[in-house]
Amino acid sequence: MNFMNRAFLNVKAKKGRTLLLTLVLSAILMFVLAGILIQNAATTAAENAKESAGATVTLSANRENAFKKLNSSSSKSKKLSLASVSVKTAKKIASSSYIKSYNITTSTTANAKSFDAIETSSSNSSMSGGPGGKSNSSSSSNSTGDLTISGVSATSTVSSFSSGSYKITSGRGIRSSDAGTNNVVIEKELAKENNISVGSTIKIKSTSGTKYTLKVVGIYKASSTSSTSTGTMQSDPSNTLYTAYTFANKLKGSKYSGTADSVVFNLSNPAKANKFIKYAKSLINTNKFSVSKDDSTYQSMLTPLNNIKSFANKIVWLVAIAGTIILALIIILMIRERRYEIGVLLSLGEKRWKVIAQFFAEMFMIMIVSLVIAGIGGKFVGSALSKQLVSQQTTTTATTTSTTGNSTGGAPSGGGAPSGGGGGNSAPSGKSGGGNMMTTAASSTSSSQLSSQLSTDVDILSLAELGGFGLSIIFLSIMLASIGIMRLEPKKILIS
Amino acid sequence: MLETKDIGYWYDHQANALYRNVNLQFAEGKTYAIVGSSGSGKTTFLSLIAGLDKPSEGEVLYNGRAINKIGLTNYRNKYVSIVFQSYNLFTYMSALDNVLTAMAITNSQHKGDKEYAIDMLSKIGIDQDMAKKNVQRLSGGQQQRVAIVRAMCCDAKVVVADEPTGNLDETNTRETIELFQELAHAQGKCVIIVTHEPEVAKMCDETIELKNKEFTTKSAIKA
Repeated sequence: MNFMNRAFLNVKAKKGRTLLLTLVLSAILMFVLAGILIQNAATTAAENAKESAGATVTLSANRENAFKKLNSSSSKSKKLSLASVSVKTAKKIASSSYIKSYNITTSTTANAKSFDAIETSSSNSSMSGGPGGKSNSSSSSNSTGDLTISGVSATSTVSSFSSGSYKITSGRGIRSSDAGTNNVVIEKELAKENNISVGSTIKIKSTSGTKYTLKVVGIYKASSTSSTSTGTMQSDPSNTLYTAYTFANKLKGSKYSGTADSVVFNLSNPAKANKFIKYAKSLINTNKFSVSKDDSTYQSMLTPLNNIKSFANKIVWLVAIAGTIILALIIILMIRERRYEIGVLLSLGEKRWKVIAQFFAEMFMIMIVSLVIAGIGGKFVGSALSKQLVSQQTTTTATTTSTTGNSTGGAPSGGGAPSGGGGGNSAPSGKSGGGNMMTTAASSTSSSQLSSQLSTDVDILSLAELGGFGLSIIFLSIMLASIGIMRLEPKKILIS
Repeated sequence: MLETKDIGYWYDHQANALYRNVNLQFAEGKTYAIVGSSGSGKTTFLSLIAGLDKPSEGEVLYNGRAINKIGLTNYRNKYVSIVFQSYNLFTYMSALDNVLTAMAITNSQHKGDKEYAIDMLSKIGIDQDMAKKNVQRLSGGQQQRVAIVRAMCCDAKVVVADEPTGNLDETNTRETIELFQELAHAQGKCVIIVTHEPEVAKMCDETIELKNKEFTTKSAIKA
């Protein structure tokens, strides 16, 4: 191990050269570490995105087939007939391991009896599409009420609530245990206007004229952005009442018992959405029902993350390759300068591999110091670089999403209600009919989540990876530079 | 101990050979001076017997074995020490580290023995403090003496030196040659010195002159 001792003496004696090499190697490793940190952070963030962003799959009536059937019908009185989803089937599908939670939704309209609905500027009572097109399913009645009754299995699984657009400010939300009860959650503005508080009872009348007494168990606040729409009264988010889906079915009529307009399944892993859809389709009649996925939030987070990861990967390899070349050139020059030393070593009978090992040992010692410097500096470079990348990527994604949203906004699936207005199925309905509002919301959420999730902390694993890169860089550099050593003849060096 | 058997050397064409059919024998316990005019090929001859290069024809034998068969690196490592005109010390080391490093590389029987190295250096007038200073802070004469001690400490039986006094003054030249004589006479080594200085040649036991591509052995004329 004499070459180790020689390496140490050389590194110690040649301070200027050691410092120069340390700085060069530190700079190379710093950028490699920045790349590794961003890459790791993007991978972790993508994993986290699966957890946080989630994806939903909606089971509902197959509208496309229903319209086809309607158009091909020779009957004069054309009426769109949509099948209701069986809760039993939905529960069977929900027993899949892909499912984290699910929400059964049924929407209908009713009229306020013991209180006044919030009135909006101009109402167009001829518009029959309820939020998300759900009122289409209330085929038992042609008239619409001034309230939207959004029957859900639990408000916590409704996207408006889970995304934070709607917040329970008083009392509680609807729970699965509320099934079969007349419990209701109403909007804060509606409660304020009518002096309703948690514990109060309110009366409503179904469109068929039946009166119902409801108990207010909670009050929610809709975000300000959601209440800017104009249109029918029930389209105002303040006029949306959340009840158990069983109550909404009761309002619609006895034949709707045990059914739902749609069921939204929250997936535990968005990447498995297609597998789940395949599984769900095997359990339903696809002529009558359709299964559609909405992983836009996940995708909107994944796209910039994948771009960042790809960019970081390129940084790592480009810097590693460039670093190897730069370092190899420096070492070649260093070796030229040390030809006599190599000649003396060879004349003493030192083996060539030990001469090469000495250079490697010198670089290894320098690398240890460089690793520490890179470890400190890499975090800052990585952090600054990732912020810049996140900023660029989210801007690009938002622009792309906005453009896509606008182009799909006019889809004719009815509704036109603001996001969340339709209750639990707001995400799919927002995507297909509600324009780009939901997608933009998802994009802004993903942007903030992305920034917070892309953490570039230096950990042992990153440093170990950097050490591996560092070793590879110096090994390759020494090998490239050593081609010269292998060709050196001591006689030619020492005796001229 | 060391023998050349019909060796010849040329760079490009056999017709332009520096010399051919050289048969010389070198015994242990003696100092040899190889003299000749500049460009005659005496340094090349030294590189052949030192195992730094291979002859174009013939072979160099060490104790009857061809050095090619021993392996040139192995031969240089175990059986021969070289002293150069320009000292060729490791400039980033102290005199002591230079000696210790050479001892470690050549597997000297005193490998790692710092006291032995300091003792050997003190014999040539380099005290402990000086021995620990970087070699570049020593004079030319002192550096050459360090180079000789480095060769001495390697336990090699053959010591070859290429113009070892070329950069030294008269006093240092005499002291250096005396060191070589001590190596041969006291330690029983075979010392072969290439020189163009007649005074140095006179101090050696035998002189071999390279003239007109021929080696001629002459008895030493002792002063």
